[in-house]
Amino acid sequence: MEFPNHHRSIVEDLMAGKFLLPQDRTYQVLKEHEQSYTYFFKASFNYELRLTQDYAYLVSEESQEMLSRDICIFIALLSYELDRDGKNFIERIQFSEFEIEEIENYFTNSAYIDLILSNKQLKDTDSRKNFINTLNRRNIIEKTGDNRFIFTSAHKFFMDFASDIVKYENAEKEE
Amino acid sequence: MKAEPKTILRFLLEHYEVIAELFETQANEGIIPHEVLTQTIAKHESDIRSQLLEYKILSPVNDNYEIRTVYYNLIEFILSEFKPMLPETIEKYHTSIAELFRKIKENINGDKVTLSQRLNDLAIEIRSFYEMVERNTQSLLQETRELKANVKKIDYREKIVRASRWIDEYILPLNKILDINHSASVANKLYEISEYSNKYRLNFDDENSRQQFERLYFQLIQVNDNLLRQSKILTNELLPLIERIRTESIILTGWITFLKNPYKRKVPKLLKRKEVSVYSNETFFNASEIFEQFKNEVDVYFEEDVVDSEKWIFDKDHYTKKLKDNLPVENFFKWCSTTLKEDYKKVEIEKFFALTILAFEEDIERDYGKKAEFDKIKINDLTLTVPKLTIEKQNGIS
Repeated sequence: MEFPNHHRSIVEDLMAGKFLLPQDRTYQVLKEHEQSYTYFFKASFNYELRLTQDYAYLVSEESQEMLSRDICIFIALLSYELDRDGKNFIERIQFSEFEIEEIENYFTNSAYIDLILSNKQLKDTDSRKNFINTLNRRNIIEKTGDNRFIFTSAHKFFMDFASDIVKYENAEKEE
Repeated sequence: MKAEPKTILRFLLEHYEVIAELFETQANEGIIPHEVLTQTIAKHESDIRSQLLEYKILSPVNDNYEIRTVYYNLIEFILSEFKPMLPETIEKYHTSIAELFRKIKENINGDKVTLSQRLNDLAIEIRSFYEMVERNTQSLLQETRELKANVKKIDYREKIVRASRWIDEYILPLNKILDINHSASVANKLYEISEYSNKYRLNFDDENSRQQFERLYFQLIQVNDNLLRQSKILTNELLPLIERIRTESIILTGWITFLKNPYKRKVPKLLKRKEVSVYSNETFFNASEIFEQFKNEVDVYFEEDVVDSEKWIFDKDHYTKKLKDNLPVENFFKWCSTTLKEDYKKVEIEKFFALTILAFEEDIERDYGKKAEFDKIKINDLTLTVPKLTIEKQNGIS
């Protein structure tokens, strides 16, 4: 039985909960063999492969809900604070580099400070540093230096979630 | 109108603040209520009510007032404060322009004076149409930029509603009007007129009409260029800008809604990391089960069973002698069994096996027979299948 090139990396990375990104060779191979991989992950692990133009990832019934929630809180707070600061948060998150110091400023001076202090992964500088490493491991951000990072296209996964909140609420109102 | 034009213009200049304020009221409310007029005049300490009516700047509507269209348009133009118009209003030019063009075509060889008048009217309609499109594009752009900067500090939800309304009700229909490839668009009609004028500006028997077609043709070249520019502003600048406002507002509204109750909302599913590990979900329980066994350690004593019977020792000499005395023995294993049964009440298997070793002594001669034969010997509950072995004589046994 022959597997495509990078098969092992594709499986290992996706199974480690990473997002594969369009600039990765693994993403390209995955896209070329989308149908086979969809079947492979379903038949082998009962996981669903989701492939969009911005990222690829696996979905299972068993979800790491706590992490997902913390990532949502992190991006929600950052978007809110950037907007409050008069910045175009979408363009900033999509195209610019962030310094840890800037993130620290936004979080320590946020109006949502109670929420931040009550969250284990976001409550202080050290926790936030670890949390940013977790985001890096999942390919949601890419570290560009010791204290700098950029968001990858996987951040759109969470932006889509925010849009869906409004869409569902509007749909509910219309019903 | 009795007043001199210069008097009216001077009046407008002197009382510009009052008129601008009244203009704003009408722009917002559609009318100038009687009490607002009174208050505005009182505020500026200038009793100009009678002049406003005399110069026909204001006209009464029931108990209220409104600025006459000609002045309203003038002030609007001066202030560049145009409200975006619904494209339906602009669409009406399609009918008027198409109708004039149809009549020109049908009566091209008819009365030259009427043709000249129609060409003139057509030029005016085209100019008005273009001006309205330009004003609308500019006002939409201005409103959109204001919305982007959120000068009026409006709420995100309202932003989504406004952005969506402008896209669906203003920009997309306006774009349709300007789409030259759309057969029912005004732009397409203008293109048709332009081709027609091009033909007749070069080839028409009446000199005056030819010149009018020439002017119309060049006006249309200019208008088409301008419309194309307006269309580009709509599609390249305005539409992306307003789409971004809408997307941005939707996402931010979503996040703000999420942050109101971040622990109660369902979040997107993220795969639990699957790594090869020596640990498993059950590791803790397995380990605790093992450790629990050592938790309440109790001394346990085992007593060995006391063997009552004496240990049997095989007396090889005794049985060797017995075998020798019985030689030749026709069936050796049967002899073993019989001999033991004679000596003991109960014959254990180990006694039987001990005795059988005599068959392997070097100094005896064994005969296995030509054909293999087997016997069954019962020892207690055990039935053994053994070959028939004859001990003929002894070799050196004395």
